[in-house]
Amino acid sequence: MGKVQLQISRRTFLKSALAGSAGLAVAGGHAIPAVAAPEGSAEPPWFYRGQIKTTYSVCDMCPWRCGITVQSVGDRVYKIDGNPADPKSRGMLCARGQGGVSFMYDPDRLRSPMLRTGERGEGKFQEVTWPEALDAMAEKLLAIKEQYGPESVAVFGHTSGEFWFADYFAQAWGTPNAAKPSSSLCTSPREEASNLTLGFPVGGHEPVDWEGLRCLTLIGSHIGEDSRNTVMQDFAKAWGRGAKVIVVDPRFSSVAAKADYWLPIKPGTDTALLLAWINVLIAEKRYDADYIAEWADGFDKLAAHVADLTPEWAAAITELDPELIRTTARVMADSLPQSLIMPGRHVTWYGNDTQRMRAAYTVNALLGAYGREGGFYFNKSPYIEAYPHPPFAVAGSAGGCSAEPGAESAELPVGPSGKARADGARTKFLRGATAMQELIEPMITGEPYPIKALIVYGTNLLNTVPDVPRTIEALKNLDLVVAIDVLPMEHVAWADIVLPEATVLERYDELWTVAHKTPYIALREPAVEPYADTKPAWWMARELGMRVGLENYFKWETAEEYINTRLQTIGSSIEKMREEKGIIVQKGKPYFADFKGSSPFLTKTGKIELYSDELALAGQDPIPVYTPTEDPPDGFFRLLYGRHPVHTFAKTQNTPLLHELYPENELWINAGIVAAQGMKDGDRVWLENQDGARSGPVKLKATERIRPDAVFMAHGFGRNEPALTLANGKGANDAQLQTRYILDPISGGAGMRVNFVRIVKEA
Amino acid sequence: MATNAFLLDISRCIGCQACTAACKTGNELPAGTQFIQLIEQTRGTFPNLEGGFQNHRCYHCTDAACVSVCPTGALFKEGGMTRLNRDVCSGCQYCTDACPFDVPQMVDGRCSKCDACADVVAAGGTPWCVRTCPSDALRFGDRQEILAEAQSRVAAIKERYPKARVYGETEAGGLGVIMVLPDDPEVLDLPANPQVPLLVNTWQKVVQPATMGLTGLSILVTGVAAVIARRNHMQELKLLHKEEAKADESK
Ligand code: SF4
Ligand code: SF4
Ligand code: SF4
Repeated sequence: MGKVQLQISRRTFLKSALAGSAGLAVAGGHAIPAVAAPEGSAEPPWFYRGQIKTTYSVCDMCPWRCGITVQSVGDRVYKIDGNPADPKSRGMLCARGQGGVSFMYDPDRLRSPMLRTGERGEGKFQEVTWPEALDAMAEKLLAIKEQYGPESVAVFGHTSGEFWFADYFAQAWGTPNAAKPSSSLCTSPREEASNLTLGFPVGGHEPVDWEGLRCLTLIGSHIGEDSRNTVMQDFAKAWGRGAKVIVVDPRFSSVAAKADYWLPIKPGTDTALLLAWINVLIAEKRYDADYIAEWADGFDKLAAHVADLTPEWAAAITELDPELIRTTARVMADSLPQSLIMPGRHVTWYGNDTQRMRAAYTVNALLGAYGREGGFYFNKSPYIEAYPHPPFAVAGSAGGCSAEPGAESAELPVGPSGKARADGARTKFLRGATAMQELIEPMITGEPYPIKALIVYGTNLLNTVPDVPRTIEALKNLDLVVAIDVLPMEHVAWADIVLPEATVLERYDELWTVAHKTPYIALREPAVEPYADTKPAWWMARELGMRVGLENYFKWETAEEYINTRLQTIGSSIEKMREEKGIIVQKGKPYFADFKGSSPFLTKTGKIELYSDELALAGQDPIPVYTPTEDPPDGFFRLLYGRHPVHTFAKTQNTPLLHELYPENELWINAGIVAAQGMKDGDRVWLENQDGARSGPVKLKATERIRPDAVFMAHGFGRNEPALTLANGKGANDAQLQTRYILDPISGGAGMRVNFVRIVKEA
Repeated sequence: MATNAFLLDISRCIGCQACTAACKTGNELPAGTQFIQLIEQTRGTFPNLEGGFQNHRCYHCTDAACVSVCPTGALFKEGGMTRLNRDVCSGCQYCTDACPFDVPQMVDGRCSKCDACADVVAAGGTPWCVRTCPSDALRFGDRQEILAEAQSRVAAIKERYPKARVYGETEAGGLGVIMVLPDDPEVLDLPANPQVPLLVNTWQKVVQPATMGLTGLSILVTGVAAVIARRNHMQELKLLHKEEAKADESK
């Protein structure tokens, strides 16, 4: 009798742990008799090995941050699934999310705090205790502050614990020089173009109102290769409903293969295509005239500006068929206002990227997409109070894709000794979040003032910031380099102090608050104890704060206390959130009707600014203009880079599961070129860029799927760190081949698709 | 037991490999073993291209060749699925030779293939791959419901893909994976008419009876069995190839 009951309760338990949201078996209530745990020689499956514990958390295998349920038995995590209550994952995960367990159990992880013993860059360290490491760091930081001021400490932060260092600690300490690669090396142009045109940023989650969408246009967005889970789900549904898909890409990407129209554009000419589309929409009176009359400013100037920018004009530039340009404009217009160009994510391409994004938003305005069902919804941040800390020494976060939407003020925030950002904002470029790559220069030149210390939290410094030789020079110049990471990434060898971090499955974190159609808050709790002598970022930031005189900011003793204090302001708690499956969803304001007559656009005019006075005043083009980008010289190809669906940044290449699925990158190159040059598919070659930088060897992928003037590779490979035992030496490194970039004069973004490579047969 | 089936919508699959990864973690597959492989397919020349992904996995054939030839009962049919009990596999490799889709692999000397997440399903769950597929390209459930879903999906994509069709309803005696294809099977690297009946019939009627005496032994003495069975099998293969040659001649 007892045995039977045990089986029943185990089965019920399993059901809740194993049952998913997808699939007919569960949805249709298919009762298939339970079998007992398999008997015999083989080990039973993990879910029969003991009581399954489910922990609610948030994935960190990419910046998208899907809600997850973490299944563990005893002190071991076995499986991560999508949290069905989470608005992003909806019970599903991408391959990388599935690899979160493997990321945690990577045997190459950093295990203990370390202090440098050899020369900087040699990678020689001794393991020390946490108090030793933190005391050393605190002492050095205070000395630098004493001599140069707190602004001389730069903090780079990436991945979801970045808040504790790049936001909380940096602001409490008093440096405006905190930066995130998710801004100037990724989304800054898209955010600033949106701020300038609509008066608010795009925000982390592109606010596409997928449910009613009838026509989707992608420019260089690779849904499926960029495997952001929710976007793949939404795309599949819209596509399945028969929504039209237009893909503009020099490469026949996975999503181009699903498109109704593929425009194999010459790289760098997208703005010409956008202007021609605008020309067709206006010349053929296919735009949403009522919407433009009510919500847009500067239409007449726009119409005059594009009057001659016909498809024929653009065809000569883009190498596209003018009829294809005309047809696609009509297809877009046929479905308006349920028709839009998706902003995309990584848009720092050619250095004129804010203008390209403004051109895309202009098309979206002509299609009447903003604030319309099936177009773009207006997102809203969830309501919750910040932790009641004393006012920060320097207000204004580093920005980045997790930043709160906020208006750019005329004055840049200044640190306690009166210094504003050292990245050249307002001089080298106009506005936006701190530009990480521009903080490297002051580390070398001391201009406008010296940066003497660098804290690198989770940022893959040498695989992310273009112009690696310059970054190395900066690293040699600094008085203090601290690396906080999970794995021994290349830059860790350059640190004086190494602080090993616990992964997201082993730690609490700041609440994840998401601006969304349905604003929501997600909880991250640890499923297991941290590995070896690793610690969570909140603990490190606090311990450091206590040592450098910031006790007032760290009155909370544990992350739970911090989180509960915040949750209290909305009548919740960690305990309650657990009961609600780790998610609190609030009500949004997605459409015009929700604004009850007031304008949702937060520009000066309260309208969509097709013509920007602000840009005109700053000496920039008030309406986007096509500016040509340099062509590759003879024998060279433009180096394009992007994602493989099972990898993120330069973060996952060493993760055993994901490494197995895609161990090395390949060079996509037009099959005709390969044949003409007497090479063949699978040959291993080296790449040399315009400045003589080399990387490889990398396997050729001879394919029809790419234009002859460009090559493509997945980012994050070709690693140079023996301690990354799986990833080291596999494939080619795009970052090493990006020795130059073009600064976007508006947003401070670093356009990186301006590098060219040629193929050399040996090292 | 109800007859189940998978839905595999090739037109919708975007090649993200979430299924492969979920299967590996959920089933704790050892390094190097994958039950699903995504293989990029490209047709045409730049810029007139079509493409997608082959989703190579066990198709859970109704008349499964691997089951027919498995001498130990390690491979068996249940609820429409081709199940595997690795504990009784003798490692003879008959299945790897028989499968028309080249699915079973030998891992640590025993057969390794998708077991349709039988333990998960028995406990009320959904196969790991199905549960995570972000594109809704995978489903699992009652075969009739799956077939109806496949048919309605084909109808929905006809405008985009005039040659769209269901695959697996009858092919190879019916598959346990019902596919939605955007094009003809040959174009997508699938056999238009999988030759399973010929193979299996030949095997069952001609080849196996000739060597059955020896193979029976393998069920009792698993350790020695693999060697003996493998040796038998090589003889059988020779016989099989003769039969195949005969069949070819008579065409
Ligand atoms: S998209 Fe994938 S890696 Fe990114 S958060 Fe979601 S599951 Fe994790
Ligand atoms: S998870 Fe779905 S979309 Fe992704 S590869 Fe597998 S079947 Fe295709
Ligand atoms: S059904 Fe289970 S075992 Fe088979 S491929 Fe899917 S996840 Fe793997």
